[in-house]
Amino acid sequence: MDTLKAARILEAGRECGADFTEIFVEETRHSSIAFSDKKVETATAGTDFGIGIRLIYGTDVLYASTSNEEIEYLIGLIQKLSKTRPSSIGNGVFILPDKSQKVNGQMIALDPRTISQSKKLPLLKQADQSARSLSSKIVQVNARAFDSVSDIQIINSEGLYLTDHRVHSRFTLSVTASDGKEIFTGTETPGAGRGFEFFESLNTEDLGKSAGERALRMLDAGYIKGKKMPVIMGNGFGGVIFHEACGHPLETEAIRKKSSPFTDKMGKSIAQSCLTAIDDGTIPNSWGSINVDDEGTPPQKTVLIENGILKNYLSDRIGASEVGVPLTGSARRESYVYAPVSRMRNTYIAAGKDSLDAMISTVEDGLYALKMGGGSVNPATGEFNFAVEEGYIIKSGKITVPVRGATLIGKGHEILPMISMVGSDLEIAAGMCGAASGSIPVTVGQPSLKVDEILVGGR
Amino acid sequence: MKLNDAADFLYDKAVEKGLKVFDIVGGISESTGLEIFESKVQNTEISYGSGIGIRIFREGRPGISFTEKLSSQSLIQTLEDAISNSEITDPMELELPEKQTIQEFDLKIFDPGVNEVSFENMIHLGLELEKIAKSKDIRVENVPYLGVSKSESFSVFRNSKGVSFDRKSNSASAYVGVTASQGEQKKMGFYSNSYKSFSEFNPEFMAGEAVTRATELLGASSVKGGTYPVVFSNRVSPSIIGMFLSPYFADVVQKGQSRLTGKVGEKISSELFSILLDPHIEGMPGSRLYDGEGVPTEKLELISNGKLNTYLYNLESAHKDKAKPTGHGSRSYAGKAGTGVSNLFVKKGESTLTRLLRAYPECIYITRLEGGSGCSAISGDISIGVQGFLYQNGIRIRPLDKITLSGNYFDVLHKIEDISNEYSDSYSSMKVPDILLSEMTISG
Repeated sequence: MDTLKAARILEAGRECGADFTEIFVEETRHSSIAFSDKKVETATAGTDFGIGIRLIYGTDVLYASTSNEEIEYLIGLIQKLSKTRPSSIGNGVFILPDKSQKVNGQMIALDPRTISQSKKLPLLKQADQSARSLSSKIVQVNARAFDSVSDIQIINSEGLYLTDHRVHSRFTLSVTASDGKEIFTGTETPGAGRGFEFFESLNTEDLGKSAGERALRMLDAGYIKGKKMPVIMGNGFGGVIFHEACGHPLETEAIRKKSSPFTDKMGKSIAQSCLTAIDDGTIPNSWGSINVDDEGTPPQKTVLIENGILKNYLSDRIGASEVGVPLTGSARRESYVYAPVSRMRNTYIAAGKDSLDAMISTVEDGLYALKMGGGSVNPATGEFNFAVEEGYIIKSGKITVPVRGATLIGKGHEILPMISMVGSDLEIAAGMCGAASGSIPVTVGQPSLKVDEILVGGR
Repeated sequence: MKLNDAADFLYDKAVEKGLKVFDIVGGISESTGLEIFESKVQNTEISYGSGIGIRIFREGRPGISFTEKLSSQSLIQTLEDAISNSEITDPMELELPEKQTIQEFDLKIFDPGVNEVSFENMIHLGLELEKIAKSKDIRVENVPYLGVSKSESFSVFRNSKGVSFDRKSNSASAYVGVTASQGEQKKMGFYSNSYKSFSEFNPEFMAGEAVTRATELLGASSVKGGTYPVVFSNRVSPSIIGMFLSPYFADVVQKGQSRLTGKVGEKISSELFSILLDPHIEGMPGSRLYDGEGVPTEKLELISNGKLNTYLYNLESAHKDKAKPTGHGSRSYAGKAGTGVSNLFVKKGESTLTRLLRAYPECIYITRLEGGSGCSAISGDISIGVQGFLYQNGIRIRPLDKITLSGNYFDVLHKIEDISNEYSDSYSSMKVPDILLSEMTISG
């Protein structure tokens, strides 16, 4: 969008009484190739395109999104939006942007748009062959490699005019094992804020082996008898529990609606002193990192909890002003369709000092949740539930047999103080996070850690 | 360019390129919505999105592409993308449907009245919902989630055999999420529904339901672990049935990822259990004359008194099994074809819910599921947090939370002991009554 067109839109916003007007322009190029049933099943490419316009009145938001870029249509949209409010004159700052400024982005070595999709094929085939070679019980392998390249413009009535270039690549693999009666699927899903070099760096043979071996192990696994017990959570994707049960309630979007158990807890102790948790938007080329947030604020490394004390919320423009906290560069959205709100980036529990063996040895009767599946949380009450993809029973301080079908349930703010040991083996893992502003790439992470008691669902 | 023009343009360009086998899917979605918080409109959203996609086959090799930019330049690029993608895929055998005459009739899924409702009316409804919710019960603390919206969608389809149709639908929706507290405990109650017209909204009822759903769970605690008879409320039974639909899809069976492999003609559940798929019911959101691949839809009984009659086919899976497509192909403009269902009915039984709850000296009545991530359609495993009530001899004893329910879907189907005679009031394409199971495992 050129400055003239942008200026007309911002003017229209001011004429309609908005204190602040923002334009978000997105063009995203996607490509994807999927291998399933021992063949290249689909190859897809496409373009998302659209514009999102946000008018802010105090802390009220009016938002319009469209894939129609005609100026008269866009101005019509603003007028239609503003009719939903009593008329007034905006009293915000109003500075028209003059020229665009490019955001310093991640280092991308190989632009996915310049590489043929066929180059991803050998990776998919390797994963397939490696998994299938494990056992005749491997009945299906679905592998997919996909990438996206987005060109973004963020323009606002305070004179901001940024352009940003965002690149993401991801490989997803699911391997299904069956013994004719039971069926189980193991998955691996790495991703990064990198170009084709990400795929070149992957060892898809190892990924195939790891997902396949897990599916086979779990195929033979029994079920755990459900009850309250101590749980050792595995490193990496285990961090999904912190993400869901504590991360979401620390977003100003939840705080400002007073619907978070962490409302009014700033500066207070909410966990044991072994626990420090961070949300970092700046890790180079990480799947959850951003060059700039979707309101144009540079990202930062935000310490959420330091040695058990609540230090920061994750904020966006409206959340920061309503809750009275600084901007953390956390305003994010899936695409132009959504207004930005405070969201997580790379969220992890920092490494501690305990070893995994030391933690296991403290458990008489419990669960080692090595790999977590997905989960969800009710942000208003903190109630969460998570599936354990790969779990083991711990008896008398030793890991014993594998178990499947375990679920962990509880409330985030009640579980947090029960984390009593934190390992040194921090890892982060890629995932997608869904909330009010759509589905966005994030990472979750943690070292292995011990929760003294949690309700485990089983049979 | 307009969506229909873009579809025609893409069609003509594909023919010019010498393409013989292809189909085109396009869609427009429009919505207007608002959120209310503390007696004022906090968020307002208007959205308009459109896109178009093409799937081509060259010597059987599929190539898929799409764009949300409906300019001639972008559409030409889209076609080029599809062609280059078809150079790397393996052949997929299928026959696109031929043009045929079907009996067309009005499915009544579009009501012009919805579009005429003004923003003021929507605000008024939202404010009223909040006011009622706050006044219903002293334990109501907050109404953090409240929204009213209306939406419309339009889709077009064309294929190289001359099949061409479009579909237009709209609806109005509202949701209310209430938090209520008692001592340290906080519970949320949520009610949402969609209607074909705004006149059907009943704010008193909607807000009242949300409040009841929050307050009735206050004081909840766990129950001793063990096996219990369980009644799934008709509020949650559609979610359970919905999470386990893919094992009935032929493509999933063909990939070895369904535990229903080889079970057609066999008894897979209790005799009380029958599933009917009917795409032609007037006014239901899943109703359609054609599926996503241009195959005319028809009514089908998937399970009759416990017996599995067929798998559900799209074009590719039908060709593979040398079966007739059943009209269950699904496709959006941005992706490959999959399998899906239109309107699904689990047939009603004769008992009332009261009778289901009275069937055993003690049972657990489940009214809320806490996410579905512990449920796997592939393995059939069910392991899920639930909330609800303990009943003894048909009398509600106390609310329950912090419990999990587990079992396996394929075993659970055989444990259905009774099905009620009532669906929930939700405007949904899935209609499932309350279901009594003889036993499931509860951990607490």
